[in-house]
Amino acid sequence: MGQGKSQFTEEELQDYEDLTYFTKKEVLYAHQKFKALAPEKVGHNKNAKLPMTKILQYPELRVNPFRDRICKVFSSSNDGDCTFEDFLDMMSVFSEMAPKAVKAEHAFRIFDFDGDDMIGVSDLREVIERLCGPELKLSDSEIQQLVQNVLEEADLDDDGALSFAEFEHIIDKSSDFCHAFRIRL
Amino acid sequence: MEDEIEEVEARPPSARRNLTLRNNAARQVAVNFMPSRQLPYNTLRLRRNNSEHNALLEENDSAETDAPDAVDKQADIIVREMEQHKRLMEDDPGAEELRREALRDLPQGLTMKRNVRAKLSASVSLRSKRRPISMWKRMKYRISFTWKRIRDRCRDVVFSFEFWYEPIRQIEGHFGSAVGSYFYFLRWLFVLNLFLSILITTFVIIPQALHDVETSNSAKLSFLDFITGMGGLTDSLLYYGHYHAGDVRAHSSLTYNMPYAYFFTMVCLYLLFFGILCYRTAYSYRVNFIETSGGLSHVFANKVFCGWDFGVVTPEAAKLNANSLYNEFKELLNEQNRNKAPTWWLVRLGQYVCNVCVWVFAAALVAGLAAALWLLLAWKPGPGLTYWPLLVSLALTAALTICPLMFHVLVKLEFYNPRTALYVTLARTWLLDIGILMVLLIYWSQAHADQCWETSFGQEAYRLVLLDSVISLLVLPLFEFTRGLIYKWSNKGSPPEFNLAYNSLTLLYNQAVVWMGGMFAPPLVLGVTIKLVLLFYVKREVARRACQPARKVWRAAQTQTVLYMFVTLSLFTTIFGIATFFLRTSSTSCGPFSGYSYVYEILTEGALHLHERPGLAAALYFMVRPGVIGFLMLFLCVSVYYMRARARAQRSMVRLLRHMLLLQAKDKDFLLTAISNVSNGEWLYSPKPTDEGPDSHTWKYLREVRKPSNSGFHFDASRLSHSLIEGRPRSFAKENRASHYNEKKSEDGDTDSSFSWQGSNNYLNKTDGDRQWP
Repeated sequence: MGQGKSQFTEEELQDYEDLTYFTKKEVLYAHQKFKALAPEKVGHNKNAKLPMTKILQYPELRVNPFRDRICKVFSSSNDGDCTFEDFLDMMSVFSEMAPKAVKAEHAFRIFDFDGDDMIGVSDLREVIERLCGPELKLSDSEIQQLVQNVLEEADLDDDGALSFAEFEHIIDKSSDFCHAFRIRL
Repeated sequence: MEDEIEEVEARPPSARRNLTLRNNAARQVAVNFMPSRQLPYNTLRLRRNNSEHNALLEENDSAETDAPDAVDKQADIIVREMEQHKRLMEDDPGAEELRREALRDLPQGLTMKRNVRAKLSASVSLRSKRRPISMWKRMKYRISFTWKRIRDRCRDVVFSFEFWYEPIRQIEGHFGSAVGSYFYFLRWLFVLNLFLSILITTFVIIPQALHDVETSNSAKLSFLDFITGMGGLTDSLLYYGHYHAGDVRAHSSLTYNMPYAYFFTMVCLYLLFFGILCYRTAYSYRVNFIETSGGLSHVFANKVFCGWDFGVVTPEAAKLNANSLYNEFKELLNEQNRNKAPTWWLVRLGQYVCNVCVWVFAAALVAGLAAALWLLLAWKPGPGLTYWPLLVSLALTAALTICPLMFHVLVKLEFYNPRTALYVTLARTWLLDIGILMVLLIYWSQAHADQCWETSFGQEAYRLVLLDSVISLLVLPLFEFTRGLIYKWSNKGSPPEFNLAYNSLTLLYNQAVVWMGGMFAPPLVLGVTIKLVLLFYVKREVARRACQPARKVWRAAQTQTVLYMFVTLSLFTTIFGIATFFLRTSSTSCGPFSGYSYVYEILTEGALHLHERPGLAAALYFMVRPGVIGFLMLFLCVSVYYMRARARAQRSMVRLLRHMLLLQAKDKDFLLTAISNVSNGEWLYSPKPTDEGPDSHTWKYLREVRKPSNSGFHFDASRLSHSLIEGRPRSFAKENRASHYNEKKSEDGDTDSSFSWQGSNNYLNKTDGDRQWP
């Protein structure tokens, strides 16, 4: 998979292997995929920064309702543009090897639209609206009821928002989360 | 219970307090200095990257985090927190590995991780006291390094050899992870069988083949023999009966004892795979059922947070995913809104009776099929029908193909939720498969006891595998393709979906036949392995060209566990069945063990030479006496019961502890609010209990849970168990709070931020639990 002349030195690969959940081969494979998004740019500079629109060409991200959030969370410049290292980070978190806790951490940040470290009512509304897609719309009261139910189940300390601990509790009890929150390289 | 729920639902959403962000930063500072935050586990996780630390350092703007000095500062914080963990900062390979893992689990970008790593290693080398290390330690380190390197290399190799990676990924992208998991199951079975066939080939088939070359006897084969597995094939490598009962010598002085090879290869394989399967099933069960406590408790939150399948690639699949989520949300809400009147007991009884009737019918069907099979096998046809056994196998395969479909229809008559319905269908089909195979085993061992029943059963298994291959590789795909084509042309009806349950069932059946037949027809495993390869490609084409993604999202994690469980169960039944027959029927007629009167004698006479060692023999015979085995069983039962009792006790303990944790969290919340209020100078002394803000949970719980008579920490057990049984520990408090909130509002609306220690204390001493106060 990573045949041919590589753009990376052995040390760099070892470095990536130490810091992510990937092996060297997988890192190279990820770089191929990254390169496929913008061949000429990445060909010049292996760690080129690609704009968010380019990153969103990645098949799994293209159809994902939270695509812009994912890019923003993983972007080191916080504006959605990603370098290869950001991309590698993203893929590492979404990979099968990443533990549930790390996945939950990032999922929490993705769902936290307003960035206040709590998943509040407005965040939940946004999540539900995005999940149902652009064509189908739930009515306002239905969304309200759904949000209410989610809080009812998950909001242990009754402050009207989910803290990370509460979110993690939900994720811990879910057998499907690891299956769902996964993008294969 | 019922009206409680209603009251909770009727409560206007505005009644929910929204104090989240109030004093958030100041609070975080306080929280950060709490002892629990200083524990290694928490500091290692270092999760809340921005706000806490920024609040700690009183940094002004989080938008500046990309500036190099901000990154530096944050890295400093992380390193400082890591430094508090002693085990992590030691200067040896173990700690280094720990550091590596801690770094990897850090929810930060790569730049940050690198920064932290540099600082960390600098700090470690600064602290380390360089001492000469002992020889023993050096060796230990070297071994652990090598081990780690080998492990990494292995993972690398596994990744490059992970076959069917891209195809399965594509299917997953099209159909979602549920259909993907079917293909993973198929791949797993393939690897299992591949491993099996490699071992069997090397240890059993090849030696026998070498022996055959020397003795060279060739029988005439006709085409029909290949289909029936009889005739010229009877005395071939294919079956148990052909295997040599003595030493094998192939052009050399070395000998190879065939009976030992056959016996120990088979026994080891079966036991090894039984162990692997048990472990895997137990692991899967633990992850998917126990750790998630069934995973059914948070229906809404699960749907919202785990609803989207991130592996989906195509726009159509994404649209279907969105549609199904939309529908499921609607269904959930409808279900909730529907008046949950308890079903009338007569209706429930009717449902129960119906379920039982269908179960009886299904059991009767299985029994009837088994009986019919017995009659068919026993019927001696006239001389015109030489291939009667083939016809029987054909009928059998047809029945085994159609019956699962019938069970699918049957289960619709019953009253189960979809998941249970699937499990019930799986269980019935498994019962059918195993029942039929057992009947075959019993029939052949009785009818051909004097001839070579092992070979006869092997032939039966051969025919079943062959016919099943034809069905699953040709007939069913053709059927699916035509269905897909008809749908494409006419555009009527519903598009054919990939029937996950049925397909998994055929795989289960296939594996059951392999377990049963492998003992008596070793090359069968090889054939099945090849069949699985073909099956993969056929199924992939079928899925791609003729099927539509399912409209209902089908979550696979738990079903997967059940599938593993059934594979393990069939292996267990097989081992049990085969062992029984080997213990009871004589093996002198044919096969590798014909030198012994019973198969087990190869162990007792051949390997252990028991007749020369009377002491060992006496010990062994004592151990297999019914009394001893009965006692062992009894002991096992008692220990299982003891474990179960302990598990239950622990479960209730966990529930209690969880509740306590909840209460303490609320206490902490209350105290923090109190502290921040005090620090804001809002502390008003007021003895009125009504000044109690709705914020303080503690107060409420003091009233509900802690008895005023006890000053220490104490649970009111009756209250607790009451709320626990309901499974909604919070509803009671909420209901109360809501009413209290409204009352309070009517009195004065301006005391929200005021509170009183004294007030609640006084109140505590005055009331005893009921709502007597204004």
